[in-house]
Amino acid sequence: MNNKIKLFSIKKEHESASKHVSGKAKYADDIHEPKNLLHAAIGYSQIAKGKIKSINLKEVAKSEGVIDVITYKDIPGINDVGPVFKGDPIFAKKNIEYFGQPIFSVAATTCELARKALRKAKINYLKEKPILEIKDAIKKKSFVLKTKVIQKGNVNKSIKDSNNTIEGELFSGGQDHFYLEGQIALTIPKEDNNYLIYSSTQHPSETQQIVAKVLKQKFNSINVRIRRIGGGFGGKETQSFIFAAISALLARKTGNPIKLRIDRDDDMIITGKRHDFYYKYKVGFSNKGKINGLDLLLASRCGISPDLSGAINDRAIYHIDNSYFIPNIKLVSYRCKTNTVSNTAFRGFGGPQGMFCIENIIENISKYLNIEASIIRKNNFYQKNKNNITHYNMKVEDNCINEIFKDLLKKSNYKKRKKKIIEFNKKNTILKKGISITPVKFGISFTTTHLNQGGALVHIYTDGSVHLNHGGIEMGQGLMTKIAQIAANELGLSTNEIKITSTDTEKVPNTSASAASASTDINGGAVVNAINKIKNNLALFITKNYKYKGKAIKYKNNKVLFGNKSIDFKKLISLAYLNRISLSSSGFYKTPKIFMNKETLKGRPFLYFSYGAAVSEVIIDTLTGENKLIQVDILHDVGKSINPSIDLGQIEGGFVQGLGWLTTEQVSWNVNGNLTTHSPSTYKIPVSKDIPEKFNVNIYEKGFNIEKTVNRSKAVGEPPLMLALSTFMALKNAVNNNNLKAPATPENILMALQE
Amino acid sequence: MIKNEIEFILNDNLIKIKDIDTNVTVLNYLRSNKKLTGTKEGCASGDCGACTAVTAELNNNKLTYKSINTCITFLYNLHGKQLITVENIGKDKLHPVQQSMIDNDGSQCGFCTPGFVMAMFGMYKNKIKPTNNNIDEYLAGNLCRCTGYKSIKNAARKMYSYGRNDKFTKNKKITIKLLKSINKNDVIIDNNKKKFYIPSNLNNLIKETQKLSKFKFLSGGTDLTLEVTKQNKEINSLIYLGNNKDLNYINIKNNYLHVGAATPINDLIPKLKNIYPSFADMFYRYGSIQIRNVATIGGNLASASPIGDCSPALLALNSSLLIQGKIQREVHINKFFKSYRKTTLKNKEFIKEIKIPIFKNCIFKCYKISKRFDDDISSVFVAFLLNLKKNLIIDMNIAFGGMAATPKLASKTQKFLIGKKFNYNNIHISKKIIENDFNPLSDMRASSQYRNIVSQNLLERFYLEVKNNRSETIN
Ligand SMILES: Cc1cc2nc3c(=O)[nH]c(=O)nc-3n(C[C@H](O)[C@H](O)[C@H](O)COP(=O)(O)OP(=O)(O)OC[C@H]3O[C@@H](n4cnc5c(N)ncnc54)[C@H](O)[C@@H]3O)c2cc1C
Ligand code: FES
Ligand code: FES
Repeated sequence: MNNKIKLFSIKKEHESASKHVSGKAKYADDIHEPKNLLHAAIGYSQIAKGKIKSINLKEVAKSEGVIDVITYKDIPGINDVGPVFKGDPIFAKKNIEYFGQPIFSVAATTCELARKALRKAKINYLKEKPILEIKDAIKKKSFVLKTKVIQKGNVNKSIKDSNNTIEGELFSGGQDHFYLEGQIALTIPKEDNNYLIYSSTQHPSETQQIVAKVLKQKFNSINVRIRRIGGGFGGKETQSFIFAAISALLARKTGNPIKLRIDRDDDMIITGKRHDFYYKYKVGFSNKGKINGLDLLLASRCGISPDLSGAINDRAIYHIDNSYFIPNIKLVSYRCKTNTVSNTAFRGFGGPQGMFCIENIIENISKYLNIEASIIRKNNFYQKNKNNITHYNMKVEDNCINEIFKDLLKKSNYKKRKKKIIEFNKKNTILKKGISITPVKFGISFTTTHLNQGGALVHIYTDGSVHLNHGGIEMGQGLMTKIAQIAANELGLSTNEIKITSTDTEKVPNTSASAASASTDINGGAVVNAINKIKNNLALFITKNYKYKGKAIKYKNNKVLFGNKSIDFKKLISLAYLNRISLSSSGFYKTPKIFMNKETLKGRPFLYFSYGAAVSEVIIDTLTGENKLIQVDILHDVGKSINPSIDLGQIEGGFVQGLGWLTTEQVSWNVNGNLTTHSPSTYKIPVSKDIPEKFNVNIYEKGFNIEKTVNRSKAVGEPPLMLALSTFMALKNAVNNNNLKAPATPENILMALQE
Repeated sequence: MIKNEIEFILNDNLIKIKDIDTNVTVLNYLRSNKKLTGTKEGCASGDCGACTAVTAELNNNKLTYKSINTCITFLYNLHGKQLITVENIGKDKLHPVQQSMIDNDGSQCGFCTPGFVMAMFGMYKNKIKPTNNNIDEYLAGNLCRCTGYKSIKNAARKMYSYGRNDKFTKNKKITIKLLKSINKNDVIIDNNKKKFYIPSNLNNLIKETQKLSKFKFLSGGTDLTLEVTKQNKEINSLIYLGNNKDLNYINIKNNYLHVGAATPINDLIPKLKNIYPSFADMFYRYGSIQIRNVATIGGNLASASPIGDCSPALLALNSSLLIQGKIQREVHINKFFKSYRKTTLKNKEFIKEIKIPIFKNCIFKCYKISKRFDDDISSVFVAFLLNLKKNLIIDMNIAFGGMAATPKLASKTQKFLIGKKFNYNNIHISKKIIENDFNPLSDMRASSQYRNIVSQNLLERFYLEVKNNRSETIN
């Protein structure tokens, strides 16, 4: 094995760990406050649909501490923060489309006074009947985007010719991101009407572009910067824009720095969430449970605007197969417009919703045929040399799901436990247990091809210390740590020599969001590219200076090795400087091989797939629907890990976030369309006790990326979330009824038991 | 002598304050006034734990450490205490809990981390054995969206291996001396027409209460403070009962448990364990450790929430309340709740004591149903008190929360069951009767249909548990 892999498997804690634990890590709200700072707050609609009849903000403006009030009239540029498509007004003009839609904003001397002032607004509405349910939207043909259809083979025939068919409906729930750090932006005016914005965002470049358009200025007059954010999970991919925009608008109008930190409840009300889905399916299959044909309708709640719903629903389509070969398929995807907040990216980006559907169908087939679900799953897996073309025509070249599944079945003692559970359920009438194993195959790359690019900027100073920036955002996923390891590895230095500072649009331009799990791949690739350029400069210098004729130059243990020479890295650098060698470079990376047809959705949207599998064992109380996760066993593929402890953290955290989505986290609106779960007192994400006492998480040791990613590692951010499907399927197994709705709250479990 | 300022120790320094607005929370004070930004705001409603800090109080010459939610604690509540924040515990050398968090990869985005560190610090200072159950109990008030908790729990499990003594152990004497130096007289803060009164004993409290106007009583503040942080209200004047030793006691006398209304729920749990274990078990799921460290039964009853967990339990137990105004009166809890969020408390009256009968020959059980097991508000809560003789139901109370506008007895069901045999048939019939007792609401916590079914099934659960003398639950 070469030294690269040795370096990467040593333990390296999160680069900010010691700052995290001592309260020294600074987030946007902790930045030293500039003089004359004002605090902003947002006034929003109290109805779900209708028109503003009259609006009176005089009392707001007069309220204690208030310096200024703005509405749509104060926007010099466009009144829209929609990322790909338009449709996300900053402030409503006349039409109200959802409960929580911003209407105005105030700047005051303190945060408390700004919030107090909001309550003095007098707004009269003309109420209209909102569309709140997906099914209602379908009936009324209320869509935000064109319906998409993808087909392969002959579905009708394949279902007709099958020995067995079943049909049914399914529902999966929404999910609030509940990043612990709420949305926040701090705008500081600079000279020439330029603005510096500290925004808790996953996407500084688009923040820059959108704010510029809102202010009607050039992109180069807006600078967005942030060192780290307190969680994103997709919730700050586009949802952060409105806060950056409003703080910039107020900064422009008042001339003061503006901080806009919104209250948790307002955050949950104003910002979009994971799409909930409705599915209607018909499936034909053999007596062994082999799927022949699947006829499927997928409809999602997009809310009032497209936002990222196009790509999210596309990804749901791309993951409807999960790890299964489905020879004939027809899939119709509705992107429903409802009078609820515009739904957005959330870890998995539609993938979890796609997989939820097929895993339920498999579970239902298993019940129908009375064959253990794990066998049905195995019977349908993609194979290496046949049955390896997806419904979107991509060949699955790196399949390892059969191996992972087999390993995990054995490791987790699945069969024995299943038997025991059957015995337990025979003996017990009130408590019932369930167990399930589910696979994950998740495609890596942005499905919007052009986003698959990354940039970096690397400087080596004359003392040999390294400073670098790249396009990615540190949001807990350990990106900065991994990038520092990559840079250290390339230069043969220890990570202490590598300093990574705030992600900044002035350092690296035109970046993509830190999303789609691909940040290490693309930004790491760009860093390597930048370092290689500097190394090329150094190589020329070495050739000239040391009359070295060879090609091989190694960077190792703070030394540079060539021929039989070994020079201190630091010494080489200072020598290079004196000889006028450039020690700084930008770098660029674009993901190879990918393409797709936007209309038919066919092509190769992904560079590769990440795989994994999980076993969950649960127990339910049939009197109350209460339930408990007893044991979880996970085996997950991260390729060759750059940092196993960070990867394990992503797997565990992803699983638990998926667990919340499928069990306790319930987004609910009342009949008027008002969100009723807008605080952690009503919206329950998992806590310590919700994770199983036996939580066995392992990285798949044979993991290897056949594509040439850094260290042959694989993306790990999103895929593990879908491992939690095993818990839902285990609950379904315990309930023994096809109609269990997600999230499997005690109520939904008890209701499924009643049928 | 009445003082006009409070005194507390912030980390190592004695601080006196009188000019800051009385509605300011500890969190905002730390972040805005002191620029101590290590303590984070995640919700400002006591639900996420990001704002956790630890207080130390002097009790019988010993320091008691408690984790609190600084977001829902008023600054002036700190009088006479030490407040310890995340910046301080590892100032010179990382604290064992911090080192353990680093070594076990307990942080990802790091935003929840200071809160977890301080919750663990609270656990560490109380020398709690790091069993799985104890860790869950001590961390139930802290949310993390990144890690999935496994690494954090590992850190808690191993924290003592980094040493059992810290600088606070070393500095104990100095801290105690400093705390003792704080004057224990009454305090009245008076600024901008807002008052904050901290009575030092019951007599002063009764006297001053009559003088003040337009005020609210404040105990743990886990309910009241949210009016400020969530509804942006201003509370004119506050009378703080939390520091009052005369309202903070637990006695057993003449088959009654007497609980001072301002006793933190956590202090009550150990006493309840022997008397009504099921009541005590329920309290472990009441809010979180941070909440229970300050929250009181008095506050829970006075807020008259239909979903408060104390009320139905106390209702089933035939408890009564000592209410103190100019004079003292005793009210049976059945008469205390008038309608939705309304009680019989008159202006200037407060609850002084909760009197809970100790029924030696009865069976008492209560059940709390919620979406999430820990730190969640009940969708349905029920408490049973059963007097059974030779399988005959001599007397029975069935009290529900979450089923009506106030906590309420299932009187029709009780009436049916009393005098009958305690058998499956009768229970089965009474399940139908419960439906006539209540007409519950649908809301984000549960539908009325679910509440109906569960209330019936809990009756069955109670029956089965008594009958089989064992509980059959998932936990
Ligand atoms: C995160 C969180 C979790 C919670 N979980 C639960 C739970 O699981 N179950 C539950 O039932 N509740 C829960 N609560 C609600 C609340 O914590 C409890 O009701 C608590 O017992 C209130 O007590 P307190 O001392 O904090 O009241 P305070 O907030 O101090 O006071 C509440 C009200 O009572 C009045 N008051 C206080 N003391 C007296 C007195 N002695 N006499 C007269 N009036 C008085 C106050 O003026 C105020 O109106 C939770 C709250 C939070 C924030
Ligand atoms: S900020 Fe969430 S509990 Fe205090
Ligand atoms: S580390 Fe991000 S919320 Fe806990």
